[in-house]
Amino acid sequence: MDFALSEEQELFRTAIRKYMNDLDRTEIARSVISGKLDVVANATSGLAEMGVTAIPISEEVDGLGLGALDLVPVFEETGRVLLPGLQLETLALAVPLLESFGTTAQKAARLPKVAAGESSISIAWYEKDGSLFPNSFSCIAAKTECGYALTGTKTLVPVIGNPDTYITGAQTAEGKSLFLVKASDIASSRMLSVLDETQQLAEITLKQTPGELLGEPGRATDMLKEGLLHFNAALCSSMVGGMDELVKMTAEYAKIRVQFNQPIGRFQAIKHGIVNMKLDLETARSLSYYAAWAVETNAEDKSAAVHSARSFISKAFIKAAADSIQIHGGIGFTEELDVHLYLKRARYYDSYLGSVRDSRRATARSLGWHSTPAKRDAVPVS
Amino acid sequence: MDFTFTEKEEKFRGELRGWLEVNLPKGWLQGERKLPEDNEHYSKFLRDWQRTLYEGGWAAISWPKEYGGRDATLMEEIIYHQEMVRVQSPPLVNYIGIHMVAPTLMQMGTDAQKEEFIEKILTGEQVWSQGYSEPGAGSDLTALQTTAVKKDGKWVINGQKVWTSFAHLADRCFLLTKTSQSEKKHEGITVFLLDMDQEGVETRPIVQMDGHQEFNEVYLTDAIGTDEDIVGEEGKGWAVLIALMLHERSGIAAQVFTLEQQFEQVIEMAKTVRVNGCLLIDDPFVEDGLADLYARINGAKLNYYRNITHTLKNGRPGPESSLDKLLVSELTKELFDFAMSIQGHPGVLTNDDSTFDGEMQSQYLASFGATIGGGTSEVQRNTIGERILGLPKDLGR
Repeated sequence: MDFALSEEQELFRTAIRKYMNDLDRTEIARSVISGKLDVVANATSGLAEMGVTAIPISEEVDGLGLGALDLVPVFEETGRVLLPGLQLETLALAVPLLESFGTTAQKAARLPKVAAGESSISIAWYEKDGSLFPNSFSCIAAKTECGYALTGTKTLVPVIGNPDTYITGAQTAEGKSLFLVKASDIASSRMLSVLDETQQLAEITLKQTPGELLGEPGRATDMLKEGLLHFNAALCSSMVGGMDELVKMTAEYAKIRVQFNQPIGRFQAIKHGIVNMKLDLETARSLSYYAAWAVETNAEDKSAAVHSARSFISKAFIKAAADSIQIHGGIGFTEELDVHLYLKRARYYDSYLGSVRDSRRATARSLGWHSTPAKRDAVPVS
Repeated sequence: MDFTFTEKEEKFRGELRGWLEVNLPKGWLQGERKLPEDNEHYSKFLRDWQRTLYEGGWAAISWPKEYGGRDATLMEEIIYHQEMVRVQSPPLVNYIGIHMVAPTLMQMGTDAQKEEFIEKILTGEQVWSQGYSEPGAGSDLTALQTTAVKKDGKWVINGQKVWTSFAHLADRCFLLTKTSQSEKKHEGITVFLLDMDQEGVETRPIVQMDGHQEFNEVYLTDAIGTDEDIVGEEGKGWAVLIALMLHERSGIAAQVFTLEQQFEQVIEMAKTVRVNGCLLIDDPFVEDGLADLYARINGAKLNYYRNITHTLKNGRPGPESSLDKLLVSELTKELFDFAMSIQGHPGVLTNDDSTFDGEMQSQYLASFGATIGGGTSEVQRNTIGERILGLPKDLGR
């Protein structure tokens, strides 16, 4: 029995944390809010120098060939300071999708650049109705002589740090299919107003935009689901980092804030509230480690491990941030303190590429709890 | 990370499984697990079971070999708990003796005490209880008022204990008393190994809200203890108490695995019971709630594994292990609350009339004890807040 990160992974965590401290922690997120976007690229190249961007990429294409567990300390530490950027989308979604379903040429064209920190890849998945798994896409991919031409509108597309490639979904004769699209080929884009101002989302319009098929046509949903196992495991680590910081911040405040002649942390209403945050944090950490382990080792209960982690942690992150605001009192409601940044980030992640409800449903399905669809009773709809 | 068991550990598991198949009470593995109701038969049944465990060498595996144990590793202890939970083995009547009193005596008892008690604890010949709480000393144990006064070479003990588990079956009591009044609350406490079989000791069972009688009031009226009954030094009983608590090396393994098993029972119920013509599990509300509980129960188990890993690497549990009890007891309560809520009105029926299994109803009632016994959730939260998060201490402590 050994349920802990390795010594190397813990050492790497220390290095990443130090680098985040050097970058002045949440200052990067705050710079993005005030429109100074060059900090994002700086941070990405800094991480690349440390080898972070090469972690999940196989050695044949200039990567380190490491696994999901090696990303855990990275995302915990970047999540702790709410580092803006496309690290999650690139390293934990685009890379696994390319590694699993890309052709040799597709991998060779993109992954070495990602490993070197010269390229980031985003996901242009959602359409107007915001469905994660729509019955069909309104974005159409028409076959051309040398590939496909895509036409349609995608929304909620993360564009922070200027991705050079999008992974997108479009309808082909076979059904929903995955495509790679160059950012420079996008017809037009419009920036959206986002609650979490450390994020940048756009609505992008494709007009006869060249698209390169990724994987088998008609299999977009299955492939995305597979990719999302990696993504969600990494997202969980990122949220755990944020929760850890919230617990620290809140406990420290309760030790120094004096009211009624005593630190407020002496009052059980406050003390127990912070302990409850700590309980959730430890559960979240255990679930996130296990999810990463299950992904890395392709464990039998991989899907349940990832989805149960995601459903718990998404909710717990929001609760930790909300409780932290309350315990901080008036100052917690101000822009000055970082707590609101955590709340907005937690809210942003809540339904990002899957909601709590979706994850719970997926947990139940993957554990085989339901009767077979044929025998299954119709659920009364109220 | 590695969740596999070694070959040696699997062999150990196999040996225990094989032994249980042969030695569990007749019909037990087939589901006939009803314990006798009246005290006398109940007591005999459990004492016989402990004797059987002892004869097979399975009563106290973590004890050193010289005392009749197996020198079991931590992992073997965990496997032991896993297997005992798996077969829902009868309770260990001398749990307090085996897991708390004897290891404490091995560490700080006199030679005479070791000689007199340890073997009898192992065989089940002598069942032990713990005399801690009093009407005025619950969460605040230092407020205890039972006194022991020396008179003509004997200690005369007066006072009242309450919530004393197994006292109605016990032969001896690990008893906390005050032997001197001190400004400092943790001083002047003395631990006696009291003989329960004497005129000055009266035991009255308390009926619990789930109908069981597991704990008691114990009235001490000029009960007699001797110098030889004192553990450690007179007046330094608090240190003995702390030492005793540290002997729980495998922590709450049994509760963790029991919770996991109880969850599986609830899943089984949801797959079997229909409400409004629909299997419970196919109701999205039920599915959602159970998936949430799955995540949290699995999370609690994984927390436990993380803490075990810490013990394996550092020789002692990390501070975070103090979260386990709080999490597991609270989750047990939530699990059964949810299990009751999804059964519809038939959920009010119990025993043979219940929709699924009367166990669900009695376990629901029993779950309320989990967040009170062994330190209430509130006290646990104080301890975690102060020891782990470094928050300022409560004024009263």
